[in-house]
Amino acid sequence: MHIMEGYLPLEWCIVWFVVAIIFVAYGIYQIKKIVDETPESKALLAVSGAFMFILSSLKLPSVTGSCSHPCGNGLGAALFGPAVTAVLATIVLIFQALLLAHGGLTTLGANIVSMGIVGPVVAWIVYKAFTKAGISSTIAIFFAAFLGDLLTYVTTSFQLAFAFPAPTFSAALTNFLVIFAVTQIPLAVGEGILTVIIWDRLKAYKPKLLDKLGALAPNEA
Amino acid sequence: MKFDMDYIAHHNELTETNPYFKLFLTIFLLILTLALDNLYFDIFIFVVMSIVILAVAKINFRSYLKFLSIPMAFVVITCLFLIFFFGNGEVIYETGIFGIVVTTDSLHYGVYTFFRVVGCLPLLGFLALTTPIAKILHCLATLKVPRIVIEIALLMYNSIFIFLNEIDTMQKAQETRLGYHSYWNSFKSLGALASTIFLRSLDKSETLQHSLDSRGYTGELPIYEPQKRE
Repeated sequence: MHIMEGYLPLEWCIVWFVVAIIFVAYGIYQIKKIVDETPESKALLAVSGAFMFILSSLKLPSVTGSCSHPCGNGLGAALFGPAVTAVLATIVLIFQALLLAHGGLTTLGANIVSMGIVGPVVAWIVYKAFTKAGISSTIAIFFAAFLGDLLTYVTTSFQLAFAFPAPTFSAALTNFLVIFAVTQIPLAVGEGILTVIIWDRLKAYKPKLLDKLGALAPNEA
Repeated sequence: MKFDMDYIAHHNELTETNPYFKLFLTIFLLILTLALDNLYFDIFIFVVMSIVILAVAKINFRSYLKFLSIPMAFVVITCLFLIFFFGNGEVIYETGIFGIVVTTDSLHYGVYTFFRVVGCLPLLGFLALTTPIAKILHCLATLKVPRIVIEIALLMYNSIFIFLNEIDTMQKAQETRLGYHSYWNSFKSLGALASTIFLRSLDKSETLQHSLDSRGYTGELPIYEPQKRE
């Protein structure tokens, strides 16, 4: 779900751009390191990014200037870690703005923060915590995708509430949160189920790849 | 499919115009529109950019309307929402339902946000509808955006279109077998579709890497820039 072009006032566009750039720069540094070590991972990254784009172009409308769709950032985070996912999400968001008129250029920073940074970081933490605790990676990926998706929307509610703090910040936040909680939870569950189906197939057909990326739970490797 | 915008970007009167000029003009005007936050200026930009898109770039009216319609529908809903549920200050209008009122503040928010979006959308449209992605990426590359990002973006752009064809074929195959007949069925079909695409994409990425390597790929795709036809 993206905040649309022109929706945020200038000062908030700048704030979110600054936050996004710091994190994305770190992600680029990480990607450079990975590519220097194993040059053949470049194509894998590109194709995974394209996959994220395709997933997120299946969109459903919701109120409040944004719309909902599976974002695929939970899966990306579990496979590549949050820093790399942030860079991929950035490219995906630019493509969405220019190819689908979905999101925008001025709100790019805010969208990167919600979809490319907070969502994947949460998903990654959840996934790592669950697998460390010895829970199977299928259950872990469900919660990672579910919470990653949900937290993306919570972040957007915060961003909108910061931009439109009326009558007070907390009242606006409650308003936005209620709307997103109602519309988002079923969609987040949907994303979770979808990710589990994908994950199962991945485990069945490409276990070596998952192992190489270090994405499997310790007891499954 | 739904990527008409990409087709339009390659086939209009402004495709060959200097992409740096288009990129900087768009960014400059976007910032200006946001900074001024002036209702008249928003409308002025909307009119001017619409004329540029329709008359100068000669993009047909229906495509442009289609580009505007979805975001516009959202922005109308959102701004109504802002007007009715936000803000304090003087009450201007009472709906009489659940004490929902329109106040000076909320009206101000709603109206300004609406016109800001109205002003910004055609600007995004100007860039998106007249400039092919590859050209924008090429611009960014010369503007010191890290090369690895541009490379990944270019490879991504190419694979997106390969996937779209495959998805189209698979979805038709699933539909003819009643794959989207019920709610649970469509979940299973969508999951199967997505995972198959992912597995195929992994194979594709391997093939892509091999073909790049065998042609001496060192991290740069040399691009031939044709001379402008006068």
